[in-house]
Amino acid sequence: MATVELSNLQKNFGAYTALENLNLCIEDGEFLVLLGPSGCGKSTTMRLVAGLEEPTSGDILIGGQRVNDMAARDRDLAMVFQNYALYPHMTVGENIGYPLKIARIPKAERANKVAEAAGKVEMDHLLTRRPAELSGGQRQRVALARAIVRRPQLFLMDEPLSNLDAKLRTVMRAELKHLQKELATTTIYVTHDQVEAMTLADRIVILNDARIQQMGTPAEIYARPANTFVASFIGSPPMNLITGTLAEGMFRHTAGQVAVDGAAGPVTLGIRPENISVSDTGDLTGTVYSSELLGDSTLLNIRVGDGLVAAKVGPDEGRAMGAPVGLTLNRAKLHLFDAETGDRRA
Amino acid sequence: MNASKSTRVIQIALQIALAAFVLLPFFWMISVSLKPATEPFAIPARLWPQDPTLENYVTAFRPEFRTYFVNSMIVSGASVVITVVLGLLAAYSFSRAQLLIITVLMGGVVLAQMFPHSAIIIPFYKMMRAADLLNTYASLIIAYVSVTLPVAVWMLRGFLLKLPVSLEEAAAIDGASPLRIFCEIVVPLARPGVIATAVYVLIVTWQEFLFALSFTSTKEMRTLPVGLNDFIGQYGIRYGELMASSVMVSMPVIAVFFFLQRYFVAGLTAGAVKG
Repeated sequence: MATVELSNLQKNFGAYTALENLNLCIEDGEFLVLLGPSGCGKSTTMRLVAGLEEPTSGDILIGGQRVNDMAARDRDLAMVFQNYALYPHMTVGENIGYPLKIARIPKAERANKVAEAAGKVEMDHLLTRRPAELSGGQRQRVALARAIVRRPQLFLMDEPLSNLDAKLRTVMRAELKHLQKELATTTIYVTHDQVEAMTLADRIVILNDARIQQMGTPAEIYARPANTFVASFIGSPPMNLITGTLAEGMFRHTAGQVAVDGAAGPVTLGIRPENISVSDTGDLTGTVYSSELLGDSTLLNIRVGDGLVAAKVGPDEGRAMGAPVGLTLNRAKLHLFDAETGDRRA
Repeated sequence: MNASKSTRVIQIALQIALAAFVLLPFFWMISVSLKPATEPFAIPARLWPQDPTLENYVTAFRPEFRTYFVNSMIVSGASVVITVVLGLLAAYSFSRAQLLIITVLMGGVVLAQMFPHSAIIIPFYKMMRAADLLNTYASLIIAYVSVTLPVAVWMLRGFLLKLPVSLEEAAAIDGASPLRIFCEIVVPLARPGVIATAVYVLIVTWQEFLFALSFTSTKEMRTLPVGLNDFIGQYGIRYGELMASSVMVSMPVIAVFFFLQRYFVAGLTAGAVKG
């Protein structure tokens, strides 16, 4: 177990900046998720920590020790790859035991540790199989067992669930979270799936365009997104962003107006779908574009002015396509962003 | 018969015709090797001997043949081992390093394949003479490694490019040194490529004639292809024994190719298309 500190970390590939001046501290035993779209720099950050890439500038400290010049094999960390990276010519047992073999752990002790790690991921009955003979979920478990077998001070996980089907992903997510808490090992987890980030993380770091957009607990980020990028990235469906003008304590839009405090000027109003109620009249008016029954709720997409606004209502509150409706916005749940920069207004 | 069926019939007929065209010389070689000394030029010519005999094989399997066979084994075996080891190391660098100089060097490797043996044999001969290596195994092994290494590097690089780099990265994070990663991860996974390359080098070196004829001067150092020349005399050619020897010379390579052909075909096409 260890703390991880990234200080002014920068990575350029020629003229392309993959990571710009990143500063980040990860607590001992913390489960930190790096979240962002493709090309935002999250995998680069992980590869820098792993020692698979060299930083252009800045420092990487693991357990207080600067590791910039240390080879990957000397950093005492384990990594789970997106494609699992299991050695196809070795059995499950040999795959799990490979880090121990390199560390010259005696055969008998190695066998015990392999059995223990395999048992933790319920793979102890398949130790003689080869990776090609396993399902996606089983391969994922082997990769996890190989990571935990030597109890490293840091786990790195690069989108480890992205190749699994939706049902298995949900099961593995719970198992992963349980395992991490049980082992209490510092973990950096990379994903572009906001549901994975929300459910797994102690703290989320949202990256975009090689920079940190926001850092915080899942609840903090959900409740107070720092800008329109974060607001539109977190939540399923994401937050509605409605552009308009703020004047005399009123947010005005072609489809209506709503009372909001703040300085006058062009703004973007944010409201989550579950904070909108739909009736015949309301703050904004529009027509139903689509109505999707989700089981426990109905998702209404409503054309408001030129854009669409999503509202999550009760399962019995579905509407016919084209029906005129009024939208009432929960005043306590409104978010106000600068229309130009996209940054949150206080 | 619909169009696709008739197309299939034409395809199969063409394939049979092509196979017959390619196999006819082999068939004729075996046929002549089984004919008595008087029959190869009998008129009318027979495709298959009237009285097949193994007499030519008994005569051809003389002590010199065994010496030539051992020499061929030593020279081809050493060439295969050295070429595959050097080829693997070079191909690994060519497949992993992202430097401009590596691309330039790979171009050099491709260029090296473009010189015919007849164009390089004189400088080779002069070098071997200067190094006092003429009429030794070393002269042939050095020459064979030189001419087969470029193709071997190209073939092995195709295989190594298909190996996911993440396996090597996983091994590095598991604590393995670069040499250990190469020996325990890369080489076992490149086994089909290694086998294909070894078969290629074996086929080329086993049948090589020009270098072997030029660099060896005594019967003790001759290899099989040069040994076949013994049956071609000033006043005639002993076709029966020549063909019997040819069959025996071809057998090891045919056997190796028969069992390992799937690796060989894969080796030649590796990296040819995006995976």
